[in-house]
Amino acid sequence: MIRTLLWLLAGVVLGGVIHLTVILSLPSLAANAAWARVENLDSLNKAVVLPAAVAGEANPLHLDPELAYAVCRLDMRKGPGIVRGVLPLAFWSLAVYGRDGTILYSTTNRDGIGQNLELGIFNQVQTRLLAEQQLDVAEGLLIVESRDDDVFVVVRLAPAHQAMRKRYEAALEKISCSNNPA
Amino acid sequence: MRFLGHLLAMIAVALFVGFGLSWYALSDGRLFGTIEVGPWAAWRDAGSSTPDPYTRAFVSRNGALQLGAGEGLQLIASTDSDGQRLDRACRYRIDGTTPVATFWTLVPTAPDGTPIARPGGPAGFNSGRIARAEDGSMQLYVSRTLSPFNWLEITGEGAFVLALTLYDTSSFTGVGPTVATLPSIIREACS
Repeated sequence: MIRTLLWLLAGVVLGGVIHLTVILSLPSLAANAAWARVENLDSLNKAVVLPAAVAGEANPLHLDPELAYAVCRLDMRKGPGIVRGVLPLAFWSLAVYGRDGTILYSTTNRDGIGQNLELGIFNQVQTRLLAEQQLDVAEGLLIVESRDDDVFVVVRLAPAHQAMRKRYEAALEKISCSNNPA
Repeated sequence: MRFLGHLLAMIAVALFVGFGLSWYALSDGRLFGTIEVGPWAAWRDAGSSTPDPYTRAFVSRNGALQLGAGEGLQLIASTDSDGQRLDRACRYRIDGTTPVATFWTLVPTAPDGTPIARPGGPAGFNSGRIARAEDGSMQLYVSRTLSPFNWLEITGEGAFVLALTLYDTSSFTGVGPTVATLPSIIREACS
């Protein structure tokens, strides 16, 4: 009886090891689903407005149906990323994601940015160069240091009413997203 | 023969515990890394640049565009305040107040994230477009049948979840003196 219990206890311990292995290895083994979906959007150096989440239709990115979204992807190997745009007078926020789907930086327009979106994304080498050159950084330009060379930026914009969605999506589409040649 | 039996039992227990616990922790298990207030739960570090290992695994598996920590917080309820699974056959009253935020949305979805509101109508509630009592509290109804006050019509059969997204909030960040309160979800009647 005791021997059987010891075997079962060993099974529980081994199960704990399997559990920890699964949790720690999942991010590196599973290709991040969000990155894969964004990669399929043809959004490299281009702001792409995501289709609104609609009742009854799959919503794999778990978008909030009340918001309008734009996404653009940047390859930092080609130089620092610059995202610029003027957005309507409404709540908006942005987040910079790494390839593994974790968020490198996020903010909202309530942090004193107003309507103008100006974001510079630098990888670690570019950040070091920027510091060494002691360049003046334009007022209002948000500087983000990225640990990844592959990033994507998501801008969320909240129309007060759904009737304004088309106009807001047009403003999102006008966001420029490109690499500044190093 | 007995040794083989013990070995097989050990392997079965190990696989059940190992993979079962992983699935539970990353689904609705709420074992680690989550904030829980009544029926509502959120992954605290999902919007962080340095999430803990459980949150990192959840983010990889989930594939959603997580809300950044600076943007807000999303809370999910898959049960009512009595712990019973949310069922589309029932009428639910969402009662109380929400934490301070620039605005919030409350969207009923299927467990896979598909919105389940009536096609052609609003997909969810928006804090800017609901009627409130004088003290700021609200009564929201989510059901397939006609309901009073703020009503959102849903469709279909089976389980669903409620996603409450607080935009631009400092609640649950540990900043500020207030204790965040969340609305209760009360099952009223089932058809």
